[in-house]
Amino acid sequence: MNNLYEALEICLQDIEKGADLESVLFRYPDLADELRPILEASAGAKNMAVPAPSPDVVRRNRTKLLQHAAQMREANVKSSRRVWFASMRRLAVTLAVVALLFVSGTGLVGASSNTLPGDNLYPVKRTWEGVRLFFTFNPMEREALEVEHENERLHEVQEVLAEGRSTEVDFNGLVTSQNGNEWVVANVRVLISDQTELRDRGIGVGSPVRVRGITQGNNIVLAERISLLSSDEKLPDVDDSHESEGDNENNSGPGSGNDGPGNEATETVAPQNDHSGSGTNSGTNDTTSSGNDGSSSNDNSGDSDHSSDNSGSNDSGGNGDHSGGGDNSGSGSESGGGGDDG
Amino acid sequence: MIGYGEQLKDLKPGAGKRMSVYNERQALDGLQRLDSQAIGAIYDQYFSEVYRYVRYRINDDGAAEDIASDVFVRLLEAVQKRQGPQSSLKGWLIATASHAVNDHLRRHYRRPVEALSDSLPDRGASVHSEVDSREQNRLIQSAYARLTPEQQHVLALRFGQGYSLEETAAHLNKNINAVKALQFRALASLQRQIGEVNYE
Repeated sequence: MNNLYEALEICLQDIEKGADLESVLFRYPDLADELRPILEASAGAKNMAVPAPSPDVVRRNRTKLLQHAAQMREANVKSSRRVWFASMRRLAVTLAVVALLFVSGTGLVGASSNTLPGDNLYPVKRTWEGVRLFFTFNPMEREALEVEHENERLHEVQEVLAEGRSTEVDFNGLVTSQNGNEWVVANVRVLISDQTELRDRGIGVGSPVRVRGITQGNNIVLAERISLLSSDEKLPDVDDSHESEGDNENNSGPGSGNDGPGNEATETVAPQNDHSGSGTNSGTNDTTSSGNDGSSSNDNSGDSDHSSDNSGSNDSGGNGDHSGGGDNSGSGSESGGGGDDG
Repeated sequence: MIGYGEQLKDLKPGAGKRMSVYNERQALDGLQRLDSQAIGAIYDQYFSEVYRYVRYRINDDGAAEDIASDVFVRLLEAVQKRQGPQSSLKGWLIATASHAVNDHLRRHYRRPVEALSDSLPDRGASVHSEVDSREQNRLIQSAYARLTPEQQHVLALRFGQGYSLEETAAHLNKNINAVKALQFRALASLQRQIGEVNYE
């Protein structure tokens, strides 16, 4: 059968080249009877071949095709416009939502900027500070921001104390004074109680600390916890030394020539001394307070503490301390008088 | 700027295969953008060939024109959907034309499509002996219409388009021996159908 197919193909090619039917069949006498009707059919199949379409048909259908392409182009443009408009609409809605969130967010942040500890929006203020800090990558700017935040903490404490509110605060600062159970940290008076958690040993004057506590009505912070600052934590930008001197002056002012011994006495942290001298001090304080107005009594009480501390803490350096204590206790009444004058 | 028409002229005999594929790709890129020049060039290159194929298979000038035109619209739509020809544009057009013709015949002539007998035809039947040329063509057309789509297809390619055995094999996606056998059976069936039509 393959010979028949092959013979047919050869005959078709020969006819294509111009040979006639009989001559090609002559080459395959054995297959001639079978090939003849096939080749006649192929001649008929070839006669069916049609000429190329007329130029009119070509032109007409060409125009139709190009018109169709133009319609498709137009539809594509409309479709892409629809997509564009849809995209723009989505973008507009997104922008509106973002703007709304931004406005409301910044409004909230703005409203919270002047809040103080204990206010409802105060957490927003602290959170926003955290966010700002998180997105500040320049080390210099970041450090400046941290200092700014610590300044704000200190400012808040002073505001809260000024308003006489009792609320939880925390702030950083240098310890500038330690008079028994009352310290001064960054110009803020801090009261140490039995419940105060002193996390680190060796906290003395000049130590950078973080104070967490509750503001009291008498312009003092009752400390809950005091810990030394780590090296990467920042201090508020306040002139502690100046204020410290001022305190010392206040404390020692009345006791004129005894500044040195008095100050030395305050630098010793000895909670047990408070206990030893507490009876005398409290009596002195009460007396002093009764004769003073509120503002001046603080200094006086500080002086009284000096005297009590000194009297109880004479572990080694006795003389100066004793004399200082005597002078200080005496000065308590003097400054009490000064307070009255004020 | 090089026109698509100029590039497509290279597709004609004598052009290298690489150049042919490259230009065809360029033309298809133009189609993707619905570029009128590219569409026109491809149409000019292939419409006549597609029309002659369709007209060979259906003995109807109007329908052949519509179907041939529709093949090019399908090309535009397929390319837009990125379902157009990947290798041979002409092969895609002829294949699409073949499917379109089959659909047309299915809708208009509900004929059985089972393969007709490929036994050898009646040796006594003689095409040329009894009818004149016009009647003979009508007879052959009628007989041809009774063939299976595949048989019609192979005869259209070989005798209508004048494709070589190799080219026909490429269009049919068959090897050459299979095309030889298919061609033989198609001609045998045609001869047999001519006898039957003539008898009727």
